[in-house]
Amino acid sequence: MPDAKLLFEKYYDELLQSAQDSNISLAISKAATIWREKKANVLQRFPDTADLAKEVRRLKEDCIDKLDELVNQASETLKGNGAQVYLAESADDALAIVGRIIGAGKTVLAAKTITGEEIGLRHHVESLGNEFWETDVGEFIQQLRKEKPMHYGLPSVHVTKEEVARLLTDFFGREIFPEVPSQVRAIREFLRSKYSKADIGISGCNVLAADTGSVFLIENEGNIRMLTNMPPVHIILVGIEKVVPTLHDALRVAEVAWRYAGFTVPSYVSMVSAPSSTADVEFNSVRGVSGPMELHVIFLDGGRSTLAKNPTQKEALYCIKCGNCLFECPVFQLAAGYYGGRGHFGGIGAIWVAYVTGSLEEAVPIAYTCLRCGRCTEVCPVSIDIGRLISELRHTIVATAESIPPSTP
Amino acid sequence: MKSTKPYIPAILHFIRTNIARRGNPLGLTNQDCASWATDLQIPTEADTILYTGCEYQMTSYIQPLRSILKRVKFRDTLFSAFGHIQELTKAVDVDLTKVYTQLATRQGESYNRLLRMAALTLRRLNVNFAYLDDEPYTGALLYEYGLFEEFHKQAQHVADQFTRAGVRRIITLTPHSAEILQKVYPSFLADFDFEVTTYVSTVADALRESERELSLSEPLSVTLHDPCHLVRSLGVTEEPREVLQAIRNLNLKEVASNRQSTVCCGAPCELICPELAELVACKRVTELSETGAEAVITLCPFCHANLTSGVSLTGKQLRIIDFIEIVYQALERENARR
Repeated sequence: MPDAKLLFEKYYDELLQSAQDSNISLAISKAATIWREKKANVLQRFPDTADLAKEVRRLKEDCIDKLDELVNQASETLKGNGAQVYLAESADDALAIVGRIIGAGKTVLAAKTITGEEIGLRHHVESLGNEFWETDVGEFIQQLRKEKPMHYGLPSVHVTKEEVARLLTDFFGREIFPEVPSQVRAIREFLRSKYSKADIGISGCNVLAADTGSVFLIENEGNIRMLTNMPPVHIILVGIEKVVPTLHDALRVAEVAWRYAGFTVPSYVSMVSAPSSTADVEFNSVRGVSGPMELHVIFLDGGRSTLAKNPTQKEALYCIKCGNCLFECPVFQLAAGYYGGRGHFGGIGAIWVAYVTGSLEEAVPIAYTCLRCGRCTEVCPVSIDIGRLISELRHTIVATAESIPPSTP
Repeated sequence: MKSTKPYIPAILHFIRTNIARRGNPLGLTNQDCASWATDLQIPTEADTILYTGCEYQMTSYIQPLRSILKRVKFRDTLFSAFGHIQELTKAVDVDLTKVYTQLATRQGESYNRLLRMAALTLRRLNVNFAYLDDEPYTGALLYEYGLFEEFHKQAQHVADQFTRAGVRRIITLTPHSAEILQKVYPSFLADFDFEVTTYVSTVADALRESERELSLSEPLSVTLHDPCHLVRSLGVTEEPREVLQAIRNLNLKEVASNRQSTVCCGAPCELICPELAELVACKRVTELSETGAEAVITLCPFCHANLTSGVSLTGKQLRIIDFIEIVYQALERENARR
């Protein structure tokens, strides 16, 4: 009981502290303005997007209802493609699997991954005695700042170029000016020196097609292409809710995700389905040519299959992580990534924390900070009724708290 | 999900205790809630009632309660130990009861004034209505905080009281009450069968049918803050605009985030985290002031109170005026001219 209460108070202290930091709200409101303009342009250029989003909503409803079946199909397909496939029931299981694949003394590069954030990937890999680098610019900045990401698409949205200059000057031991192109150049040089030496690349997954086993990875920076191609081993972390039946379905989900993230088309969409191989010499099949020789795919359940059976809350699994709800949320606009927990932000983050990444008690302060104003649902491409989910979650919190007798001192 | 015992914000116990004792989440009595109507001779029985849901009345108490919440450290401990405000204030050094009562009384007068204006406006527009001077509270906060069992009981209690009073049609004064009666009760009560409408729609309808002209004595530029629940849950967006645009000397300047794109005033978290409610209010006030309007028209008492605190915290030159008041004034001027 005191622990749960402390959790509650600590959460509010942090939330208020960040909400009072005007750097955060200024940065978010600047980002939100740019985001809205970009999204409006994209929707104008591709007027079918709203209909496509409705199709994706129906698709996600079907997929979540037959989640087990889809995950089985996807893992059989991937095994057939030559990948090593694992099903992790919990975050700890996933970390243990990652640990066994990586071992110690390796150089590990990671793409920005919500699932990785959820399970505490960086901390675990480092604790095993490995060198670990985030390769997304925003995530790299957050790694140096020893701070959690602030948004799915823009992890360091609240950091000014002056702060980045100070951070990089300290890190590289030479003066880096508050000038963004030269800052990016410095990061580029550093990361490029790592790609060819790295032993392992770890990525997440935007969407996965069960029929072909193809993992879609959407990006603009090019870091994902590098780290999924250069190192000899590629590990993919997949939240099981990401699986859809066909390649065509996966493309629809991907298109909706990047359009609602404000991109007409991203610089790169990688489709990884199998390890690199050749049979050019007398049809002798050999793994690992220019690409990785090992492909490991870890399906993470971590409470998702239980959530999928909850008649109300399963809607949270329809989320495609476009981040629209966040930019429009009055609380997120003030507190950014401090509103939410373990890689899942905003009001919908409370559902993820309650059922997937944390516990019901950890979700309490997030659930009770939601204003239930409904702004998020207005802008959600798959129309998740977050206010309703929060209402049900609060009821579950109350009912659960009262079904457990107070502990005797 | 791990089955450890979750911590429930202590304000929930406070609200639940008060509902159980007095039928009101802040412990207001029927007399506290109905005092505004004392000298208006409103019938207490008719098909149609004006239903305040006690929300304007409660607003006067929420503000001082918030200031207490902000002053008192370890408020959760206090709340769990002391269900009622009088008991709560006894437990701390400062005489909070005095502060609370003084503040509540002062604010109560201004909110009671709005209630009287609403009734007089309906009367002037020839809308027949009664007011139940023992009208029950909707249970909106119980629903909001997830106390569904208590909410269900309260909903049944309200429905029974309406039935006993012979009510058939309900004019709800506030968006929260309207939403609860229209959208939420039907999912908790199988046979909740009353016609529910909003004050703003009733006024818009009545004005459309009347010959009355609305005008202000001096030009005033206003912007409209749409309440989330009114626009998103009930889809009422055009009625307030129709009424405001019919007022001579009033210039409506829309804020960029209007209608379904409106932004919350912050009030929903005011009893959980009052500091956050204020920060959200300040942000909304800043957006509203960017329209260059002299005043903001609100349609919900909680928006009114929270945006008012946002104005004083940001120091913006902006008046927060309730829709009830602006319409009353615009009608009053016509009366004066006659």
